[in-house]
Amino acid sequence: MVGADELALDNKLTPRGQMYGTDYASEADLLAACRRRDIRAFEHLYQAHGSRLKSIAYHVAGNRQDAEDAVQETFLKLYTAIHGFHGQSSIGTWLCRIVINVCYDLARKRRRETGAPAEDRPAAGSPPALRVALQDALRRINPRHRTVFLLFEVEGLRHAEIASILEVPEGTSKAWLFEAKKELKRLLTETRR
Amino acid sequence: MIFECRDLERALRSSELMPEARAHAERCPECREQLYLWAEISRLAPTLHEEWESPALWPRIRADLAAAAPPRKPIPLWRWTPAAAAVVIWAVALVAPRHGGQDTSDFLTEDALREVQSAESAYARSIDKLTAVAGNRLQQSPAPLAAAYREKLAVLDAAIADVKANVESNRYNIYMQTQLASLYREKQKTLEEWLENAKRN
Repeated sequence: MVGADELALDNKLTPRGQMYGTDYASEADLLAACRRRDIRAFEHLYQAHGSRLKSIAYHVAGNRQDAEDAVQETFLKLYTAIHGFHGQSSIGTWLCRIVINVCYDLARKRRRETGAPAEDRPAAGSPPALRVALQDALRRINPRHRTVFLLFEVEGLRHAEIASILEVPEGTSKAWLFEAKKELKRLLTETRR
Repeated sequence: MIFECRDLERALRSSELMPEARAHAERCPECREQLYLWAEISRLAPTLHEEWESPALWPRIRADLAAAAPPRKPIPLWRWTPAAAAVVIWAVALVAPRHGGQDTSDFLTEDALREVQSAESAYARSIDKLTAVAGNRLQQSPAPLAAAYREKLAVLDAAIADVKANVESNRYNIYMQTQLASLYREKQKTLEEWLENAKRN
């Protein structure tokens, strides 16, 4: 059963303040529909979380094609494992956890295939230099620190949510964020010299 | 407290020391730079959120979910060498222009487009052949498994038609061509899975 706190958490995890629409009054309703294998419920989840999942996957996997493949795989895993999900965390948290794990698996596979993950080049019409440098530096820091930075600073999740996604204490999430910013600052300082 | 450069990291950890750090940075260019970067990292981070259109992604997911009921069995790769070769040729045709270092990296040139279209036609023909092999048995089978595969293929065909219509209106766009390639791959995979299942049963 999903508690009130978890519902509140999930509202935060539903990007840009969207709720689950008129078809589902709460996450519990949505989850029940998912358990009935109602494809429309999964479409609701895709509409609510797809954009954030793609962005997270893009930063972990390094390119859009792999990010989309990872999101596709994430929904398939959710669909096949939905009966094993008992609402210990919110469904948004669970989706984030799955997509991150799928991306790590994909990155391992890419390394075996080609020796390095495929990465998109910056799009045409280059954004300001510091942003590009930050994006580049983000790819070079410790993967765990990067994930926390990505979830907290880029995607706007709270430490409690990140701790649940990564299955670490909240204090660890805060410490990893500090380390991420320290590493990024060091790399940016080197770039500017 | 007399704030020194070595105290900066402590100040970044705890906001209590920040006023002293700022006062120190007024006189110290190096710490000023460090404080500036620290703030800029958080200010710029939200702009790293990536958004892009993926018209074919939900249809792909839906097709996957529609077929998720049957057990997924591994495909013996050696049996599908011709189709795999077609995928490789097409992938090379798609990737080749990107390595040319031209300004139009997101779009296909006229020559590359011809190559892609020719590879796409060859690939589509090989999938049609595969469809012909699998089609009759799939259409006639009353099994629930066959119904799931029929539904998935119908969704994929609809998505292919959608993306093809988009490609028609913007034929030089690599991204749309890649989406189309993904859908064809998905259709090929589905047909192969069905054949494999049909053989085992």
